[in-house]
Amino acid sequence: MRKADRIFGVIGLGLSLWCYLESRKFHYLTDFTPGPGFMPFWVGVVLALLSCYLLYDTFRRKPGKEDDVKILPNKHALYRVGFIFLTLFGVLIIMPLLGFPITVCLFVAVILLSLERYSIPKSIGYGVAYAAVTWLIFEYFLKMGLPKGFLGI
Amino acid sequence: MGGFATCLTPYNIWMALLGCLLGTLVGILPGLGPSATIAILLPITFGMDATPAMIMMCAVYYGAMYGGSTTSILVNVPGESSSVITAIEGHQLAMQGKAGTALGLSAIGSFIAGILGTIGLVAAAVPLAEFSLQFGPADFFSLIVMGMLTIIFVGGKSIPKSLMSAVIGLGLGCVGTDIVEGKDRFTYGIAELLDGIDFVVLVMGTFGIAEVLVSAEEFMKVEPIKVKFRELFPSPREIFQVRWAVLRGTIIGFIIGVLPGAGPTIASFVTYGVEKSLSKTPEKFGTGVLEGIAGPESSNNAATSGAMVPMFALGIPGSGATAVMLGALILYGLKPGPMLFVENADFVWAVMASMFIGNVILIIMNLPMVPLFASLLRISYALIYPAILIICVIGAYAISTGLFDVGMMLIFGIAGYFMKRADIPPAPMLLALLLGPMMERALYQALNLSHGSMMTFITRPISGALLAISLIMSIAVGTKAVKRARAMVKDDQN
Repeated sequence: MRKADRIFGVIGLGLSLWCYLESRKFHYLTDFTPGPGFMPFWVGVVLALLSCYLLYDTFRRKPGKEDDVKILPNKHALYRVGFIFLTLFGVLIIMPLLGFPITVCLFVAVILLSLERYSIPKSIGYGVAYAAVTWLIFEYFLKMGLPKGFLGI
Repeated sequence: MGGFATCLTPYNIWMALLGCLLGTLVGILPGLGPSATIAILLPITFGMDATPAMIMMCAVYYGAMYGGSTTSILVNVPGESSSVITAIEGHQLAMQGKAGTALGLSAIGSFIAGILGTIGLVAAAVPLAEFSLQFGPADFFSLIVMGMLTIIFVGGKSIPKSLMSAVIGLGLGCVGTDIVEGKDRFTYGIAELLDGIDFVVLVMGTFGIAEVLVSAEEFMKVEPIKVKFRELFPSPREIFQVRWAVLRGTIIGFIIGVLPGAGPTIASFVTYGVEKSLSKTPEKFGTGVLEGIAGPESSNNAATSGAMVPMFALGIPGSGATAVMLGALILYGLKPGPMLFVENADFVWAVMASMFIGNVILIIMNLPMVPLFASLLRISYALIYPAILIICVIGAYAISTGLFDVGMMLIFGIAGYFMKRADIPPAPMLLALLLGPMMERALYQALNLSHGSMMTFITRPISGALLAISLIMSIAVGTKAVKRARAMVKDDQN
């Protein structure tokens, strides 16, 4: 956990600097009241103090049991998480092109085929089923207006 | 009685039933909690009237408490964080062939606590709302400060990390147009950010996507213990044995639920500690003690009612799920806080009345249908998490029918994943996102009224009292932390 705390301490310092620099663009005070720069300034200051404390604590304390926990999981788990996240990002990119149902079908099929080791027919079958059910519920019954692709669906 | 008349319409009963069913399913299936579920339901319910929508969301919240115990007892995997304790005791009982007793006591304890908690909500919310009509901006500012400190002190294992999470939430709350001069902060020309970061996006990212990513790290295979219908009902002797544990759990859970940030999870842990300390055989805790199940399960249900007291009466969320519901009230054009009881009394009473009906629906649903719900656990998680992710994407898209919010949700999802791995609680961040702008507005209004004098926060009696409580809390927690640090240094030297 010490490594994780150090990483977050550094990230915290970066965020605090960003808040401070942003606060300088605005008035700190107006006639009677805090200005737009007031809150970002204090967020930056408090975040900087906390980040420094977090970093200091990682050097001060002795290694303990909690330090066995790593911020990154093992390679297998990291692969699974990374794959899911990248696939979701892919959904974001292709949904305006292909439309909602086709994107959902592809998403489910890719996840089941690549990560969960389902067979091709099963993966595609589940993909089609998920796409059909979600389209029926959210587009047909609830009329949510989900994205349509170049095929008009 | 007007509230019962409103909520006993077929449509509202149907919404309560749907909410109870969804909540139970959400409680049973790991990977999606009541906060994220309510957030996903929000855009879907935009076209609905506020009353049935809120009835459904409240039903999801307390329904999840009922459902969480099923997975805990049968699989030893808590369906919800508030059912962790039930997994410790309940699964042990299940291994002894008494799964039905554990499930039955959980359901009965939850029902009694749910009903008593709702009575408490009705009794406490109205006087509190009337009292808070006297609140001015300075008082609200101090109340929010006290609420934020409570969230931070009870939010996670490490106070500095909870504080960091809250401060980051305050920073996220600065995004958008400021209330003083109408300037754009942290928007960088992106039109979608002018109204700020939608809390629904943050909830679905940090509580939905992040939870799924954590659960999907390893291939989950569950084999729930089988339970038969006729084994589901505990004996009258067993019910009589746990009567005081249920009552204690109800009272403790309700009081803890009222505190901002301290929700059902903390209530269940505190109740377990109390039951263990009061027991004549504390060494048996962990081996399947009936009081160790009934007390915490009662407590987590009572806490859901308690969490709604500040939400309705003060407009301050008592937990993550009530924070989402608070946002829902604003989206439906209602003004949470004391004026809700004045301007929308019908709505408030209908929702409270529906909670009585919802608890009846849940006890009827949960006891006989447990074998059916348990069979759902046999569905491979590989088929469940893609569905959860798709629903999150739909929910984020529906907010503004654009993909920008979906992208934001993914970013918060990956951030929430690493926060979970680094033990940084996301709940303070969510509550601070909601409370931060309210706090800034209250500060601005208070100083405007007092012509810039900070003394207003001390000279106003309510504000002064709230700040004094905050100071005492901070000193108490700080002293404890310093003592712990000194003890650690002494150990190192030895």
